[in-house]
Amino acid sequence: MAKSDDCVHILQGLLVFGNVVIGICGIALTAECIYFVSNPDGLHPLLKATENSDIYAAAWIGIFVGLALFALSILGIIGVIKASRTLLLVYIILMLITFAFEMASCITAATNRDSLTPELFLKQMLERYQKSDPANNSDNEVTKTWDELMLQNHCCGVLGPSDWQDYTSAFRNTHSDADYPWPRTCCVLDAQGLPVSLDGCKLGVPGYYNSNGCYDAISGPVNTHAWGVAWFGFAILCWTFCVLLGTMFYWSGIDY
Amino acid sequence: TMLPLLLLLLPAAHGIARVPDTPKLTEDPRVEGLTTGTTFVLEQPRCFFQDYGDAVIWLVVALDEATSTFNDSAGPGTPETAFQGFPSPVRAYMTLNATLGSYPCPKPDGEITVLRVGSETSCARDATRPTCNGPLPGPGPYRVKFLALQGSEPVADTDWSSPIMLRTAKSPDSISTTGSGHSAGMIAITTILSILFAILLAALVAMLVFWGSDSCGGSSTFSKPEAVTVRRYNTHHVYDQPAA
Repeated sequence: MAKSDDCVHILQGLLVFGNVVIGICGIALTAECIYFVSNPDGLHPLLKATENSDIYAAAWIGIFVGLALFALSILGIIGVIKASRTLLLVYIILMLITFAFEMASCITAATNRDSLTPELFLKQMLERYQKSDPANNSDNEVTKTWDELMLQNHCCGVLGPSDWQDYTSAFRNTHSDADYPWPRTCCVLDAQGLPVSLDGCKLGVPGYYNSNGCYDAISGPVNTHAWGVAWFGFAILCWTFCVLLGTMFYWSGIDY
Repeated sequence: TMLPLLLLLLPAAHGIARVPDTPKLTEDPRVEGLTTGTTFVLEQPRCFFQDYGDAVIWLVVALDEATSTFNDSAGPGTPETAFQGFPSPVRAYMTLNATLGSYPCPKPDGEITVLRVGSETSCARDATRPTCNGPLPGPGPYRVKFLALQGSEPVADTDWSSPIMLRTAKSPDSISTTGSGHSAGMIAITTILSILFAILLAALVAMLVFWGSDSCGGSSTFSKPEAVTVRRYNTHHVYDQPAA
């Protein structure tokens, strides 16, 4: 009997430990998703304008799933220590529901990340940047976001300044090709915000204009965001899977 | 018989010398705006016209098919060579005049010496500025040459350049944004999570189906609650007093 008690103790200990880890990870997931939702890189308007901002939906789900995991882990610890069948059954069912939600969030984040290709941003930029009569506010937001992006990252266009030459655009409709081969924000600017050499910028002389595309500056944070939600959630779910199996095994052994 | 002789004499009587240089697009430095939709960038004619110290050097921009019909004696600033009439009815216009002093020879190192054809937008429609260096009206092809005038007489010119094509812009609708498929990571996440969830559901069903039966192995390991717990329910469970 002592041996079986030891087995019980070990199983209980493992389950309590598992639930503690789940609780901590739940808090971490909530914190991570709040960070992403707070738009630290200023890319939210671009993603919203693609009408495909499921990455933010996935992050919002992650916030609530994290809190649910924390609460359920406390319930689980209490249920395991008290060896209560009812509590553990409630725990298992609620955990399965949370598992399903988190699974949806991970898959959404991963799928949405795959859809954010350079072509998508290129098309959006060409159609909306500096649109002369914006139908709605999101075009202004797109323009402001692109200007900030190009200024801070010293980049131009999605793939390069030639984006403005290879395609017609809303920008081209209002700015002549001879005066503005590419927007002024693509020029190297001095402290006052004026181009160091306007002629050098218009010619495209290296050193007076930004020759890189901005896609790396966009995809970097978006990738971090999406894979942060998706892979961390995946790791939590794998751990939760093990804990839930252990809990079910424990539950089926409890005797009233 | 007089005709061939006259034809032979004509070039000599023409009086224009041909310098052995050809205008070309800038190669050094490599500029991104070498050709845009309406402009292109040429190298300056440094060291081309050294023997003509007091000449004014003009740039002639012509449609590809109009190079053979260009009349060197057509003066700049006339309606026949006005930019505002280009490309029809004017088939070649003259612009970007400069004295030889603007093109010192040899070129000092480190300086960027280029001519941007098409950079003046303010005078593009101004008929009072027929020598305007206005933006080109189409993708071309165009050919250019430099012409040196002394007074109003042409004295030297270069060969016509090779045809210059400008860039044409496509519509953004031609960009296809349909996805390039799913990444390996996303497929891995989806399959593994689906399998795990299915296992959990199956385990839940098995658990509920076998509820209450002790048939599962290992149930004997903790069929009784711990000794400490039993003590709490002393009033209900009269058996199983643990040994002291």
